Amino acid sequence: MKIDRNNILTALSILVFFLFVWWGNHHLTAYAVRVWEDTLIFLMLAAGYNLINGVTGQFSLEPNGFVAIGAYVTAILILTPAQKESMFIIEPMVPWLAHLHMSFLPALIIGGIVTAIVGFLLGFPVFRVRGDYLAIVTLGFGLTIRVVSNNTITITNGSLGLKGLPTYTNIWWCAVWAVVAMIVIMRIVDSAFGRAMKAIRDDEDAAIAMGINTLWIKQIAFVTAAFFEGVGGGLLASLITIISPTMFTFFLTFELLIIIVVGGLGSMTGTAIATLLVVWGSELLRVVEQPMNIFGLQIPGIPGMRMVIFSILLIVIMIFAREGIMGQREFSWDWLFNKIKGKRA
Amino acid sequence: MKRLLSSLVAILVALTFLASTSLAKEIKVGVVLPMTGLVAAFGQSAWKGIKLAHFDEPKTKDGCTIKLILLDNKGMKVETANAVSKLITDNHVKAIIGAITSSDTMAGAPIAEKNHIPMISSSATNPLVTKGKKYISRACFIDPFQGSVAAKYVWNNLHAKTAAVMIERDQDYSVGLAHAFIKAFKKLGGKIIAVEFFQSTDQDYSAQISDIKAKNPDVIYMPSYYQEIALFARQARQYGLKQPIVAGDGAEAEALIKIGGKAVEGLTFTTHFDPHAAATPLTVKFVKAFKKKYGIQPDAMAALGADAYFIVAQAINKAGGCKAKPDKINYYIRHTKNFKGVTGVITIDPETGNAIKSAVIRKVKNGKFVYVTTVNP
Repeated sequence: MKIDRNNILTALSILVFFLFVWWGNHHLTAYAVRVWEDTLIFLMLAAGYNLINGVTGQFSLEPNGFVAIGAYVTAILILTPAQKESMFIIEPMVPWLAHLHMSFLPALIIGGIVTAIVGFLLGFPVFRVRGDYLAIVTLGFGLTIRVVSNNTITITNGSLGLKGLPTYTNIWWCAVWAVVAMIVIMRIVDSAFGRAMKAIRDDEDAAIAMGINTLWIKQIAFVTAAFFEGVGGGLLASLITIISPTMFTFFLTFELLIIIVVGGLGSMTGTAIATLLVVWGSELLRVVEQPMNIFGLQIPGIPGMRMVIFSILLIVIMIFAREGIMGQREFSWDWLFNKIKGKRA
Repeated sequence: MKRLLSSLVAILVALTFLASTSLAKEIKVGVVLPMTGLVAAFGQSAWKGIKLAHFDEPKTKDGCTIKLILLDNKGMKVETANAVSKLITDNHVKAIIGAITSSDTMAGAPIAEKNHIPMISSSATNPLVTKGKKYISRACFIDPFQGSVAAKYVWNNLHAKTAAVMIERDQDYSVGLAHAFIKAFKKLGGKIIAVEFFQSTDQDYSAQISDIKAKNPDVIYMPSYYQEIALFARQARQYGLKQPIVAGDGAEAEALIKIGGKAVEGLTFTTHFDPHAAATPLTVKFVKAFKKKYGIQPDAMAALGADAYFIVAQAINKAGGCKAKPDKINYYIRHTKNFKGVTGVITIDPETGNAIKSAVIRKVKNGKFVYVTTVNP
């Protein structure tokens, strides 16, 4: 990597971000820190998802399955054998898993790797189809994972889920992983692989004609996404301390889909903005569900109101920014400096 | 124009702040319920009960208003954790009521535990919810108790020696209850001769039914929700299964009778509460007030919600009213003794935080839920 202005500025802004995390950890309320943790985990999930869905243009609906795998693998690895024994009341856990126990970092990485392997294997059958068909088969994968986690009782404890996980996840874990995910994904997007991905998105047949091995390129995007979604799932599991099959329904995928579409398909900057908007939005909008007293006028709190307002907000965004907030553009230092100098980028 | 607008906004903001920090002394209690989402019906019902209880006892004995702050968790774990965190650090509540399901409650519990804020769930029945926790309690009985009540009833009253169990595999509620029943029934000397699994929203039970029919048990225990039970009962009767069906509190919904019709006649289930079996003076008062305000009979969720509120209110009073500290409130919640609540007499075990209380057995008779008996712990 060159040491030039842009790279130094990027490094500095990452440093500023970590300073903010350090400051926030001491000065923000526990609630704000918690929402930040959610935000960073979702940023990581959404960035991975955007790589396959936005950059490579493969409309897949797999994240809930990947997040579930990562969460389960990590959870199984960080639970102590004693905890597992007391939890598996229907049928005991398979012995080789029951005695497995390790610290958080290796558990997360193994969670990511297992998810990546599943993603790799899944890629071969699903990338035989394109477009809507791909959406359907990947949607099926998400459902399959749910059914499997309900039925492999000796591994996942079925519908009872895994409870009382140790809370390792804190703002630092989330921040570091989110930054790593963003850097890796941005680097991939800027590499030759990334340009091949964009070529596939723009016209797959043309890309094949140009000699791009589309299956291989799609696999790179898919496996990278799977890895980070798996790690994100592990972070989420340890943050919430309880996982069960109902946690990883299609709604999770849907939330991520909203984030990447609102942010702009293919734009990581957009993903970051939209993650902030979606996660913080739904928390900040809780205000509208509280009873209010304006000018002596009593307004009772209506539960569900924030979802109504939030939907209106999304509709407005999609009307005025058809391609999402950022479209396919990215923030770059060059753009910023040109703007400051008054030139058009 | 711009100035006018900004000053207007400023006034509005100031007013909302004024409104939120009203002059009257108050003590805040957070409520986390699924008001929207898949289990919204339970949350809304519980909120009705809590509101009514609050209407009945809105102040502490020394004159402070108990202010309820309701946050919706959409029936989701991440949202529950956020809501509990917000209530504690943003709203500075002294106690929390919620959540409805066991898994949601467990997602919020570590935060309450860490911040030493008492949290009482009205209806989380999984034994693990309060396990190892000092600040988490509940107003309902736990799954093993409900399972053993069903087992005892089946053994003593129905004189059944063998049972088949229908388990809804993807519902932790069903799995937990079935497990407790099997354990208790075996302990009494009974035999479980068939364990059948099915999934939520299954429509066809012919495979399970033919297996049960071949094994011919004395009774069928099916801890599930009303829709599945009603469908199963219809098909079972069609195929000529005549055994009594016993269920858990998930059966309790008018829809059970609507869908099940004649097939659910005689179906028995264990539950928390019966509006007709006046357990305490408060039950009578609550049922009457509930019918007057909402025009319907209160269900178990509403009654349990009210009890959770009454327990918290009582603990706040004992802990010093206006100036009650969360630690003290928790102490008195956990030392609730013989409290004559809506759902019966409640004692909370100081060690575990679990409520020790009686269960009610109800039955479908002539298309209506009727009271059968009360089983004491």
